[in-house]
Amino acid sequence: MRLSTRLVALCAGLMISHVSVSGESPQRWVSAGGALSEWVSELGATSRLVGVDTTSQHPESLKSLPSIGYQRQLSAEGILSLKPDLLIGTDEMGPPPVLAQIRGAGVPVEMFSAEADLASLEATLAHLGRLLGDEAQATRLFQDYQQQLQVQQQRVKQIQTTHKAPGVLLLLGHAGGKPLIAGKDTAADWLLTHAGGHNLATHTGYKPFSVEALAGLNPQVLVFADRSLTGEAARKALIKESPILSVIRAVKEGRVYEVDPTLLVGGLGPRLPASLKQLTTDFYPAVSADQ
Amino acid sequence: MLRTDHLQVRRGQNLVLADITLDIRPGEVLGVLGPNGAGKSTLLAALCAELEPSEGHVWLDQQDLSLWSGPERARRLAVLPQTSTLDFAFRVEEVVGMGRLPHHTGHARDAEIVHAALQAADVEHLAGRSYLALSGGERQRVHLARVLAQLWPGQSGQTLLLDEPTSMLDPLHQHTTLKAIRAFADRGAAVLIILHDLNLAARYCDRLLLLEDGRVRALDSPQEVLQPEVLKAVFGLDVLVQPHPELGHPLIIAR
Amino acid sequence: MNRLVKPRALFIGLSVLCLLATWLSLALGPVSLPLLDTVRATLRLVGVPIPGEGLEQAELIVGQIRMPRTLLGLAVGGVLALSGVAMQGLFRNPLADPGLVGVSSGAALGAAIAIVGGSAFGGLPDAFGPYLLSLCAFLGGLGVTALVYRLGRRNGQTHVAVMLLAGIALTALAGSAVGLFTYLADDATLRTLTFWNLGSLNGASYARLWPLLMVTAGVALWLPRRAEALNALLLGESEASHLGVNVEGLKRELVFCTALGVGAAVAASGMIGFIGLVVPHLVRLLAGPDHRVLLPASVLAGASLLLFADLIARLVLAPAELPIGIVTAFLGAPFFLYLLLRGRH
Repeated sequence: MRLSTRLVALCAGLMISHVSVSGESPQRWVSAGGALSEWVSELGATSRLVGVDTTSQHPESLKSLPSIGYQRQLSAEGILSLKPDLLIGTDEMGPPPVLAQIRGAGVPVEMFSAEADLASLEATLAHLGRLLGDEAQATRLFQDYQQQLQVQQQRVKQIQTTHKAPGVLLLLGHAGGKPLIAGKDTAADWLLTHAGGHNLATHTGYKPFSVEALAGLNPQVLVFADRSLTGEAARKALIKESPILSVIRAVKEGRVYEVDPTLLVGGLGPRLPASLKQLTTDFYPAVSADQ
Repeated sequence: MLRTDHLQVRRGQNLVLADITLDIRPGEVLGVLGPNGAGKSTLLAALCAELEPSEGHVWLDQQDLSLWSGPERARRLAVLPQTSTLDFAFRVEEVVGMGRLPHHTGHARDAEIVHAALQAADVEHLAGRSYLALSGGERQRVHLARVLAQLWPGQSGQTLLLDEPTSMLDPLHQHTTLKAIRAFADRGAAVLIILHDLNLAARYCDRLLLLEDGRVRALDSPQEVLQPEVLKAVFGLDVLVQPHPELGHPLIIAR
Repeated sequence: MNRLVKPRALFIGLSVLCLLATWLSLALGPVSLPLLDTVRATLRLVGVPIPGEGLEQAELIVGQIRMPRTLLGLAVGGVLALSGVAMQGLFRNPLADPGLVGVSSGAALGAAIAIVGGSAFGGLPDAFGPYLLSLCAFLGGLGVTALVYRLGRRNGQTHVAVMLLAGIALTALAGSAVGLFTYLADDATLRTLTFWNLGSLNGASYARLWPLLMVTAGVALWLPRRAEALNALLLGESEASHLGVNVEGLKRELVFCTALGVGAAVAASGMIGFIGLVVPHLVRLLAGPDHRVLLPASVLAGASLLLFADLIARLVLAPAELPIGIVTAFLGAPFFLYLLLRGRH
């Protein structure tokens, strides 16, 4: 115990001296959360990222950074080998002993909420702004985002005065197989609802469904997110793995749309408003795109 | 010395052994004969505490068999079963060496005894080889060496129980094995041996126990026990009994 | 017969290998430390009074991250190998594995209950989380093994064949229970469960290490004393009994040591497979089945093998980490197939 206290004191001392040399804000960031990494990029600090986790896939440039693995199974030494000044991640980061080791090495670990609501996003952006030393930009970004969402809300509200919300289901799959249906209290549910759809699933969380139950619900629109495939390949794989899907309305009428699965984890991300807009257009094809 | 008094063994409702009273005396080889199902193996199991008798007791040296502690009993009583299932590649001398487990005689003395036991069982030439590479007969003799080593050198107060130790051996080794067992008894040990071969029993045993349906049919010298009428009644076999031309013991010839 | 190595040479060789594995585990990692720094930091760690300027990073990495991890690897590797020997002796079969008595599946069930149950109750508090998980895994392993043992007992005797079947049945039952928990789990909890099932030495800390070290030391000191009795047990239960061995007591000890040892190892590091199966085999191939050699040699071999596997796990995808269970499976499964194809020696 004496050894580690001594070490912590030494390292804390080191960190303080290090920080005072390099300026106020940390320069080398490691991010363990996809949405967080995107926001860091939006705030113009992409160059500060020296390592990201497996869910950080946007923007493209992040893919060439060293990968620290899955956010819940981080390696202390691995992260420390990137010589970071800061580790950011959602409260899903772990395992806790590893975070303790990283803190013990004098690297601050900042946790952010992964909840998919505006209040959490505001707190997240404000926090990031503080860490970057540019709170003003963060506030601007949030207000802009908030406004985009408000516009989106109004659009949906207006459409729904004349059009009925379509019954929708969101399927999360892997190469088309084993699709999980998104129920209440998921980021997917938030997405569907804010895009003006009516999520037909009433359970909580992501659960596998029997394909018959799916056919029974007969959604008008099917949204899918595939972890390993994209585009036409993903659509084909989905139908191939569960052929009975072809009897549901959505598939017969060709109303099957794709979303990026990284939108569904880690809290609200910057690409959401655009996705919402696209989804609303998909949900209400009778309405023109600028309404 | 091992003895029983009105021993009875039941399996479920069946009476497998009834009213067995016998003693295995030091320096004597007692042969157990009988048709299949007569209860020979059951008797052996009861005599070495593998089975609990439903009535009667087994005494080892004036004390009830069940009261002996494991190692104490093992220093006085050794058992050679009919078959063995060893699936690991021990060396022959290591298998024989396991017979010294109940003793605390030290490395050097144990090695001497193992060597002597290997010689007695005529498997000295197999030393250094893997047990798994041996034939069935060779394995049987290795286990004989093991139980000999367990009671080495064999003296009054020790008992050896053997269940058909010659079943897999060729004629030469049948005799060498029984001669080794005989020599063991001559040093003072008490030996009980289950045999199928009537002639081997006649030649090497001092007394014979003939079992029929779980009961003692006869318990006497080979001359007395191996009578044609008795053998016909118990085994259903027509035989002639003649004295061995050189050794004089009964020779059973099937008609 | 040709045994490849004599006992003395084997022990010397394995000890050297173990020291080498320990050293490499301390000296190598995603953070590259100068060799001299590692040496000095290690010496300081064990109490040698050397001046420590400029060693802060080395002392941190070696002392707080690599050393506990190395100790964990040594203990887990050693105790898993020992349990493998115990089970192969109990079942008198060189293909037996500690998992046969249900300890691994019981531990997995315990962990699943902790992970999924914990998140159902609003998430495990950070401070308790890892401890609760380990405790549940340990209790799960002990619980299922105790049940298997009880099922195998009849008339005061433990029937090994019945235990085997009970182990298979309970493993299947535990497996479906884990499946149920998996169904009830949300995506994130599912991932946690999966990773736990793959095993890892990640996040080792001194505080959580002590129970495992004590159990490993206990088992490693106790079992070799029963080496000759274990040899006799291989002849057969009745043969061993006729040689004076308390067979029922020995079987009870073997099951208990395995439950305790594997339970503690799985609680500390998740499920790591193949060590218990493969290591005793390797040692037998080299030096024969005598437990007086097999038991201590397996501890050294198991510890070394796991540390080498951990090195691969840590370095191959750095700065990320591969779960160590994947590495041991990759090393172990082909070797196991090779053994099966080769037939028995």
